[in-house]
Amino acid sequence: MSELKDCPPLKYYDFKPVEHVKVCPRYTAVLGRSEDDGIGIEELDTLQLELETLLSSASRRLRALEEQRQILTDWQDKKGDKRFLKIGKDPDPAATSRHKPKKQKLDGKGSHAPGPGPGRPKSKNIQPKVPEYEFTEEPQDIPRVPKNDAPNRFWASVEPYCADITNEEIRLLEELLKPPEDETEYFKIPALGKHYSQRWAQEDLLEEQREGARANDKKKNMMGGPLSELDAKDVDSLLKKSESQHESPEDGCPFGPLTQRLLQALVEENIISPMEDSSIPDITGKDANDGAGTSPRSQGKAFRLAKEEMRKQELRQRVRVADNEVMEAFRRIMAARQKKRTPSKKEKDQAWKALKERESILKLLDG
Amino acid sequence: EKKMSADPKIVELLSELHQLIKQTQEERSRKNKSIIFSVPASPYYRTKLRGLYTTAKADAEAECSILRHALDKIAEIKSLMEERRIAAKMAGVYSDSDPPRKTMRRGVLMTLLQQSAMTLPLWIGKPGESPPPLCGAIPASSDYVAKQGDKVAARVKAVDGDEQWILAEVVSYSHSTNKYEVDDIDEEGKERHTLSRRRIIPLPQWKANPETDPEALFSKEQLVLALYPQTTCFYRALIHAPPHRPQDDYSVLFEDTSYADGYSPPLNVAQRYVVACKENKKK
Repeated sequence: MSELKDCPPLKYYDFKPVEHVKVCPRYTAVLGRSEDDGIGIEELDTLQLELETLLSSASRRLRALEEQRQILTDWQDKKGDKRFLKIGKDPDPAATSRHKPKKQKLDGKGSHAPGPGPGRPKSKNIQPKVPEYEFTEEPQDIPRVPKNDAPNRFWASVEPYCADITNEEIRLLEELLKPPEDETEYFKIPALGKHYSQRWAQEDLLEEQREGARANDKKKNMMGGPLSELDAKDVDSLLKKSESQHESPEDGCPFGPLTQRLLQALVEENIISPMEDSSIPDITGKDANDGAGTSPRSQGKAFRLAKEEMRKQELRQRVRVADNEVMEAFRRIMAARQKKRTPSKKEKDQAWKALKERESILKLLDG
Repeated sequence: EKKMSADPKIVELLSELHQLIKQTQEERSRKNKSIIFSVPASPYYRTKLRGLYTTAKADAEAECSILRHALDKIAEIKSLMEERRIAAKMAGVYSDSDPPRKTMRRGVLMTLLQQSAMTLPLWIGKPGESPPPLCGAIPASSDYVAKQGDKVAARVKAVDGDEQWILAEVVSYSHSTNKYEVDDIDEEGKERHTLSRRRIIPLPQWKANPETDPEALFSKEQLVLALYPQTTCFYRALIHAPPHRPQDDYSVLFEDTSYADGYSPPLNVAQRYVVACKENKKK
């Protein structure tokens, strides 16, 4: 939706050319004539009026096109770079409202009433409607652009690989590397149980007993209850069975078969995005467990790399601080320049100190 | 007029005009001029749309240009005819088909005046161009000198001593005395007047287009001099309503003591015959 709000206030024009056959009879007649027949002097006045009608219409079209092109150009120049920075951030309401006033300002260029659609303000600049010029501004439905959150999903999936390493992750690695203290528990051999052949025999026996009891029940029912009642029960259970099958299909999809087919068709037509794609993959939880499957050696390597990265992270943090200090010093010296005063010794020293410190940290980081 | 049709120069110009009109239609039908734009969603389409606008604009420019060309051609023919008319008048030669206006019936003169008002060219500027002097209500520059044959409003002293604004045609202008020689358009008077600049108001040479240049029109309630219908005299009037379309007239209320409120009911007067009134006091 914010996508639409950002759109320039372009107007919707349908430039119908003047129908000269209807509006300009003399012009039409002259067109059909051969060279020899030519034009009579007495026709000049009518021709002039008709040509003026055509020129008036064409020149209004020209003006409107120029205006639209200008709006589009201005808007592209203004917004082009801003939009790029927004990628990857959650659409925050502040951002949208920041854009709003600008849009209204553009709207306000000669509008007296807010247009019904964001891209189509009514403007006073449009000359009053005149039937013979067929210059109409018609309402237009703005197609709803399906929300595209691919950038967000992409950045979210990349995030775990690029994020700073935290202390918690180091601790996890450390724990993985720690030699297990009481492995004795895993070495204990439990006491010997019953032999499998005896155990299986016992289980079979129990099952047979249960089956027998059920068969008895059935017989009793057959003799006692009316036939119809039994049938009803059977049908009931059958129905329940089939129902339960429908209720929980193997893939656990929450929709019925018809809905599923509909969704499938919509996905194939690229109208909606598939369900499984819309959720951001949950990587964080899985990662912690993965370590258990790797060898102690690669774990050790990961730990070393992580430690190294932590050190660099710390340096980078210091570079940022140093950057800020350099910028601060720069601003102070610039301010002094603006006031036409030479920077004091203290300011100069500070600037040099900040620069040198930054240099040394960068050297460390590269080394 | 038949005589003029036979003039080889005019025949040539008419044939050129014919060609221009055919070219105009070619240009108009060359491309589909109906363009429907929707709000573009992606930067790619926005750029594409910008390209479309540029192309469409170039088409419109080409169409305007050829139409202007054709209109210029008409103006050229008309001015040539006007030249011939003045020459004939100066020579005092009247052909059978152009009888002396002495014998012209008043009704015929009125029709001619209306025709001339209707075919006053419409000023259609290019984008960003503002209307020139003598377009609609825009006055001539202070050093403007009306040309021979131009129609003007002229303030003359009538026989009974009353001053009156009449419709007249410029005969000459003397730079040494700063005086115009004008003919009363209504030759029943057969009078030639010699008048100072102050007594002459040139009539507009273009109609202002109310659709594109409404600022070049007199606005409601403004005091003007307007040609009273079926006469050749200008009278003070208030604008009742400016024209809405290029071919529309002004609706004006003439000062008229025979009505209770001092004004006539609204009457239509063409743009050509409405000029600014300098004196503000009521007579």
